[in-house]
Amino acid sequence: MSTATYIYAVVGAEVELPEGLAPVGGGDEVAIIDHGRLGAVVSDLARDRPLGGRDDLIAHERVVNTLARATTVLPMRFGGVVENDTAVVDELLGDHHDYFVWALEQLDGCRQFVLHGRYDQDELVSSILAADAEIRELSDSVRDADPDATYYERIRLGEAISVHVDRIRAADAGFARERLEPFAVAVAPKDPAEEDSALELALLVHRDRLADFEQAVDALGDEWDGRVRLRLIGPVAPYDFLPEPTGES
Amino acid sequence: MTVSQRQGPSRVDRAPQGDLAQVIDLILDKGLVIDVFVKVSLVGIELVTIDARIVVASVDTYLRFAEATNRLDLHQKGGKDLGQVVGGLTEGVTQGGAKGKTKGMIEAGKEKFDDLRDERRSRKEREA
Repeated sequence: MSTATYIYAVVGAEVELPEGLAPVGGGDEVAIIDHGRLGAVVSDLARDRPLGGRDDLIAHERVVNTLARATTVLPMRFGGVVENDTAVVDELLGDHHDYFVWALEQLDGCRQFVLHGRYDQDELVSSILAADAEIRELSDSVRDADPDATYYERIRLGEAISVHVDRIRAADAGFARERLEPFAVAVAPKDPAEEDSALELALLVHRDRLADFEQAVDALGDEWDGRVRLRLIGPVAPYDFLPEPTGES
Repeated sequence: MTVSQRQGPSRVDRAPQGDLAQVIDLILDKGLVIDVFVKVSLVGIELVTIDARIVVASVDTYLRFAEATNRLDLHQKGGKDLGQVVGGLTEGVTQGGAKGKTKGMIEAGKEKFDDLRDERRSRKEREA
């Protein structure tokens, strides 16, 4: 069976692999190829197998984020496959050695977290109704009416509410950022994915500030209790904070 | 800026990783992009992740619907187990019927990873 080499991440040279990492695509094992001050985390991959099913994605994610909990990693995007181990050394680690070393130094001791917030929709809509008499009237007018007859009114109502939601969301995002930024090395807001999303914030946190950061997140959760449900994901690899090559490095 | 000491349990959910859609967001869109940040010759392995992304996004929606119906107790009417439906759908569409277990993948992702490590550096040693 002809195989190629799948790449998960670039790490520092002394990194030890955690036990029991399951490779993408049913390969034998996850291993490290050393070169200079770097290591590439890799596994064999059959060439004739399509890549990208749910299992593959989860396997990639688990390898990278398990590593990220133990050390500083430069995660590769899913699907990086090269010819063989020699190509990993020659083309990846060799050609970009200094950039990778520099990037690992930039991220040293840092972990990424992603903070998701979700509105309690009932609370959110009630607060908007309470604040806006026009919306209250509109809502009253369609409540017991024939839905077909009030089609456009209901669209108007929903649109008016969403204007409020956008404003509230922007204010909340700013507020959360203000509270958490002091404890983060960097912050990257992401677009909220769904209609009841309040917040989606990627944060790069140094381990020395981790306790303070988590406390600040808890404090925010307390403050928003009943309004916004927070979910803190991580630590994950610093996907959102990879330093771009400057050309010199 | 100081943070006052809080009382009682945290109101913030914590998870080692997000749900599948969030995971995919990270690993397909972010990360060191070979051929953009760094140049290497990629092997032409068929990638089916575009399909996966679409299907997975829907799957997470289905799961939320399922959660809602759970609350309404419709579950007891006795349908097919959701895990099977979702698993079959995902695998069927993205892998063209290739076998693949989805059982427990998300749960497995939540398992705590123990710190056991060994000394291997296997590949390099093997080929040295």
